[in-house]
Amino acid sequence: MIWQQLANGISVGSVYALISLGLTMVYGILRILHVAHAGIYTLGAYVGLLSFRLVDNFWLSLFAGMVGAAVAGYLVERFLYTPILHLSRIAPLIASIGLFTAMEEAFRIVAGPHTLVYNARVGLGDLAIGSFRLTETQVLILLVSFLILLFLWLFLTRSRMGLAMRACALDLETASSFGVNVSAIIAMNFIIGSLMAGAAGVLIGVYDNQVWPTMGSIPAYKALAIVVLGGLGSIPGTVLASIIVGLSETFFIGVLSIPFPRDAVAFIAMILVLMFRPYGLLGKA
Amino acid sequence: MTLLQVISLSKDFAGLHALESVSFSAERGKILGIIGPNGAGKTTLFNIISGIYLPTAGEILFQGKKILRMKAHRISHLGIGRTFQIVRPLNNLDVETNVLVAYGHRIYPSLWKSVRACRQREALQEVRGIMERTGLKAYSGTLAGNLPLGFKKRLEIARALALQPKLLLLDEPSGGLRYEESFQLMELIRMLRDQGIGILLIEHNMQVVMDLCERIVVLDHGIKIAEGVPEEIRSNPQVIEAYLGRETQHA
Repeated sequence: MIWQQLANGISVGSVYALISLGLTMVYGILRILHVAHAGIYTLGAYVGLLSFRLVDNFWLSLFAGMVGAAVAGYLVERFLYTPILHLSRIAPLIASIGLFTAMEEAFRIVAGPHTLVYNARVGLGDLAIGSFRLTETQVLILLVSFLILLFLWLFLTRSRMGLAMRACALDLETASSFGVNVSAIIAMNFIIGSLMAGAAGVLIGVYDNQVWPTMGSIPAYKALAIVVLGGLGSIPGTVLASIIVGLSETFFIGVLSIPFPRDAVAFIAMILVLMFRPYGLLGKA
Repeated sequence: MTLLQVISLSKDFAGLHALESVSFSAERGKILGIIGPNGAGKTTLFNIISGIYLPTAGEILFQGKKILRMKAHRISHLGIGRTFQIVRPLNNLDVETNVLVAYGHRIYPSLWKSVRACRQREALQEVRGIMERTGLKAYSGTLAGNLPLGFKKRLEIARALALQPKLLLLDEPSGGLRYEESFQLMELIRMLRDQGIGILLIEHNMQVVMDLCERIVVLDHGIKIAEGVPEEIRSNPQVIEAYLGRETQHA
């Protein structure tokens, strides 16, 4: 029973990580809150669903959702944020909220207000060991998020561009005077963050077997709470916070059966942690 | 050989003339001192040469090529390295990685190459060579934020060297250092000059300036008031006035 809940919590948490990491990476480098990131997540789900209906192959649709989200993320960076970055930080924030609302409306107009089913056959099969049981979509989520997080970690710590990204997150001006093409690195942050959000959109679409225009609303503010909880701009902190929130949601509702709104857990956790660690779990002053 | 030509460079900040029609040139294998009282426009000059600010007017040629309006990273690729007056190490990375960041950028011009491994043997060899030359070898695994100030200053230089610069802009390398630390740093700067690197040196410590520089440019309120060898600068009445104020005239 406890192992079951643990597995459930971790799979929920890994999807949170995929969504929140893009937010962390953008905040880490530009110090702006990319609220429209949740719109990118929803877009990923729609692109995935559309391509699934066209080609009837889940893995191709996952790939398409990620690529679609990445392209959208890049366009948002180039044409929305970059032109207004020199203004006070409230300007990109308002632009971002505006874009998020506009995206939700666009999804409603284009795809319709109703819920669409994303009934994909993944081809992995359920995993059962005694009474411990993972559904096919849980296996899928754990597998895909693990691979993506592993790839991200290798990329950031081993590749030259990953090194440049870490340098830019620490000091943009210094990095540029040591030869780092800062605008390319900023674009890369959006592209990688959006790839992960697109994957999360597709995974949740398949897990819940539904895609709808405002599916990004709750992740929008929950990811914000997770990013603050982990320590703004800290990538390991975000992963840790995501897993903690995923687990506490599962345990509060599933094990203790406390009648408690599930989506409030992230905020309670954020408030509790900030009372004792104002910079979040792994944040720095 | 002329490396850098600065031609009637001006910069206004909201009506304040930070630089007014400043011209000079720097040569390879020579140290050119840039001195002047606080607010003379020295750091502004460095920020323009390294591509952080755009000037209001003027032109800069590096090896005969116009570099104004180039992005900062392009300018550093051409071979202009700089250090900051207030040291800015990438605190959360160790010393070796700090140097590696600067080294990497010279060798990955294309997007594709930049996804390859950063810790290749040739890169590490080069980086370790630079750390040995700058006396940082013993600290290679230390987080840059934990270094003592003297070594942070060395790290600034080491990172600039990783660009294999033809020209180095050093902004007060000896500021805040004890005597022996600044003495060691001077030795390092001389060694770099002898390797043929051109050096622009902003410095407040007159002893250091007079000992190191072949020529000196004096700025005051954004205007070049003197240029010459140390001997000339030392006895130039305008320079003395800028530093010490006008002598009171007694009747």
